[in-house]
Amino acid sequence: MRRARPLLESLVAVGIGLIAGGALMLPFRYHPLKAYQALFQGAFGTPHDVMETLAFATPLMLTAVTFAVGVRAGLFNIGAEGQMYIGAIGAVFAASLLPLPPGLHILVATLVAMICGALWSLVPALLKIWRGVHEVISTIMFNWIAFHLATYLAIYYLAEPGRAERTRPALPTARYPILAEGSTLTAVIFVAILFCLAVYFLLWGTRMGYEMRLVGENPEAARYAGVQIGQALLWSFLIGGMAAGLAGASQIIGRPPAWSLYATLGNVATLGFDGIGVALVGRNHPLGGILAAILFGALQHGGRFMEYHAGVVSELVRAVNGLIVITLAIPELWTLVRRRLTL
Amino acid sequence: MGPRIEMRGIHKVYPDGTVALRGVDFRLGPGEIVGLLGENGAGKTTLMKILSGLLQPTRGEIRIDGRPVRFRNPADALRAGIGMVHQIFTLVPPYTALENIILGQEGSNLWLVKDRARDQVQRLLEEVGLSIPLDTPMELLPIGVQQRVEIAKVLYRGTQTLILDEPTSALTPLEVDELFRFLRRLKEGGRSIVFITHKLREVLEISDRIVVLRNGRVTGEISTREATPELLAEWMVGRAVVPRVSRSPHPPGEPVLIVRDLEVIGDLGLPAVKGVSFEVRAGEIFGIAGVEGNGQSELAQALGGLRPIHRGEILLDGKPLPALTPIEAYRRGIAHIPEDRLRFGMALNFEVAENSILSRQWEPTFLRGWGRLDWPRILAFTAALLQRFQVIAPGVRAPARSLSGGNQQKLVVGRELAKEPRLILAVHPTRGLDVASTAYIRELLVQMRDAGKAVLLISADLDEVLELSDRIAVMYEGKFLGVGPVEAFTREEIGLMMGGIVPQGRAV
Ligand SMILES: Nc1ncnc2c1ncn2[C@@H]1O[C@H](COP(=O)(O)OP(=O)(O)O)[C@@H](O)[C@H]1O
Ligand SMILES: [Mg+2]
Repeated sequence: MRRARPLLESLVAVGIGLIAGGALMLPFRYHPLKAYQALFQGAFGTPHDVMETLAFATPLMLTAVTFAVGVRAGLFNIGAEGQMYIGAIGAVFAASLLPLPPGLHILVATLVAMICGALWSLVPALLKIWRGVHEVISTIMFNWIAFHLATYLAIYYLAEPGRAERTRPALPTARYPILAEGSTLTAVIFVAILFCLAVYFLLWGTRMGYEMRLVGENPEAARYAGVQIGQALLWSFLIGGMAAGLAGASQIIGRPPAWSLYATLGNVATLGFDGIGVALVGRNHPLGGILAAILFGALQHGGRFMEYHAGVVSELVRAVNGLIVITLAIPELWTLVRRRLTL
Repeated sequence: MGPRIEMRGIHKVYPDGTVALRGVDFRLGPGEIVGLLGENGAGKTTLMKILSGLLQPTRGEIRIDGRPVRFRNPADALRAGIGMVHQIFTLVPPYTALENIILGQEGSNLWLVKDRARDQVQRLLEEVGLSIPLDTPMELLPIGVQQRVEIAKVLYRGTQTLILDEPTSALTPLEVDELFRFLRRLKEGGRSIVFITHKLREVLEISDRIVVLRNGRVTGEISTREATPELLAEWMVGRAVVPRVSRSPHPPGEPVLIVRDLEVIGDLGLPAVKGVSFEVRAGEIFGIAGVEGNGQSELAQALGGLRPIHRGEILLDGKPLPALTPIEAYRRGIAHIPEDRLRFGMALNFEVAENSILSRQWEPTFLRGWGRLDWPRILAFTAALLQRFQVIAPGVRAPARSLSGGNQQKLVVGRELAKEPRLILAVHPTRGLDVASTAYIRELLVQMRDAGKAVLLISADLDEVLELSDRIAVMYEGKFLGVGPVEAFTREEIGLMMGGIVPQGRAV
């Protein structure tokens, strides 16, 4: 019952977003219904399309967790982007340079990426806990540092010989199996969903999650309850970092055809920032984030079909998508803002 | 010369239904210092916020030099020459004193006018005799100087009538003397001053006339020359005889809590509790009365493990307590009903069940392996708690937000009492509650006493302290001015001590 309200609000928001997007198309003489039909069919029309939509959704549900688990502990952690770069670099390193037996190799590469992501969140976490440095500032800085570090490592140490535009591809032993011939969806999506479920269980089913949420809801009550606030914040950062690292890995060892990192970081860039929007649409809930990520994936994958089949120019497709996302994020943004104002 | 100000028949009902003022008349002559006296919640701040345009009266009128006026906002009042320095400072810490003084001037860009304003500010400071280092950031200035900046800021706007809300609460005695010298000088310059306080000695020293408020009404008005502390104290606290709740007349047992020479530092870095000693015995309620802000919060926080002890010691059942944490305090048998449930005691967006284990979330009772919460057990515990303490809630999984204030407090009180403590620390346990919840919570505290627990009651509500306590102390400026059985004091004597004056023949 109590979870139903946010879900209902989000559904209403989807409706409003679609109507608003339709209204945006009208003056340009496109037919909104036809366009949406193309969008929907493109995203979910065939099993292949469903899988592509899910492939897009995979990293997003993870970077959404990074943001959501931060908000639950009262943080505005926007460091998923950088943590994801470092996770991706870690994955490239473990997957392409370490010769390991099959099975173990996937495991090691995945864990290395998650640890790299977590380590990258450690400095902002400690700055926050020890010196009170606001996490927005420090995570933005660390996003930039990560960007340049990852680019540097990709070009100078991990580049594929003879093909400077990308890193060495993951060895076949480190690649998640593709789920269907011709699809870019791999088994990494199960790891991603498991991770979201685990965070959900952690937040609502354990003492640690209880204390993290209490710090987010009311830090003074947390102190009164004997919670070590620094520890709770540290865990929120680290879990977020692990999620982002895993998101990075999912694009390296879980996404054909590249199986590598582009030197421009083009195949991972903005996934971390997009996660913020996904988290807001998913009401900062790890499971809501899965649904929201699928929606985002559908907009991305299906959006292309709006262009082919309904002839909507791609700029407008993006504008319509943006409008839908903004409308969807409003309920959660509103609660965040209201909390800031009243407490 | 300042104007003649008159407030007539002022009523104020806050949006939440609290009646703060019930027909107050107040006047202020030119070149006069009026002391506005009263205990917590008497309505002093509300009355002056109305005069300074921050609040609108529900009923009543304000006249200046005989003409009725309406202030829609503080700017209106400032235009009429009325300005208020609030209890809580409103300065921007990293800005310099000068920037703070000129900040918010209508239609001015801080950086453009700064140099021009400097001369003006300097002249004003010389005229009124204030010395302020203008280029030092506020956060580096001592509290006393920060307050001067607040005053300068108000005067800079051309204020002829200055209202000061409890201006001495954070000042050292030396700073108080300086403030008083300065106020006299302002008065000689023709300005009028309203001085809000609960401290009898100060109001007797600085004012020309004293107006006493209690419970939203003026209970007395007198020229300071004719006033005595005894009379003022009586006006402040009334003389009503409080009915005592029925209780079993058993003698108290062994001391459970012994506090020796305790010193605690407050938020401002100054001592807030300045060496208090007392004991609370099993089967008694020990009540600490006093106007809020005299160190009670810090004392409670120290006992609850939320604030370090600077000096002195705390013994529980004869054993000294180490550096306390909230969890350690609970382990040793201290339950803490915190002073503000919304701030410390609960999380409104948490479920009732989650709130019912707040501060006990680490206990093995509520956990399974791997730190997992044992939900079936927690829900059963909550259901039992709601039943035992008559908490009315839509359900154990409803958000605490959906409970009424009284039921939220019953939940907090019940949660703490269910800890089966040795000592119950109850801080303002019924503040802001409806009559029924108040009566019920008081009854619970007496039941605990009768069951042999030690209860330390800290309350700004004098009636509550008198009604419940076996022994009492009155706290003033971090010290106890009187300790003894409740029968040993008259209400008037307590009123005097709340105002900082120890009655004749009662030196502690
Ligand atoms: N913003 C508010 N909303 C509701 N009630 C209030 C508010 N401010 C004060 N009160 C209530 O009004 C009464 C008078 O408060 P106040 O004027 O602050 O008293 P004083 O300054 O004499 O301590 C108290 O009962 C207080 O709880
Ligand atoms: Mg006040």
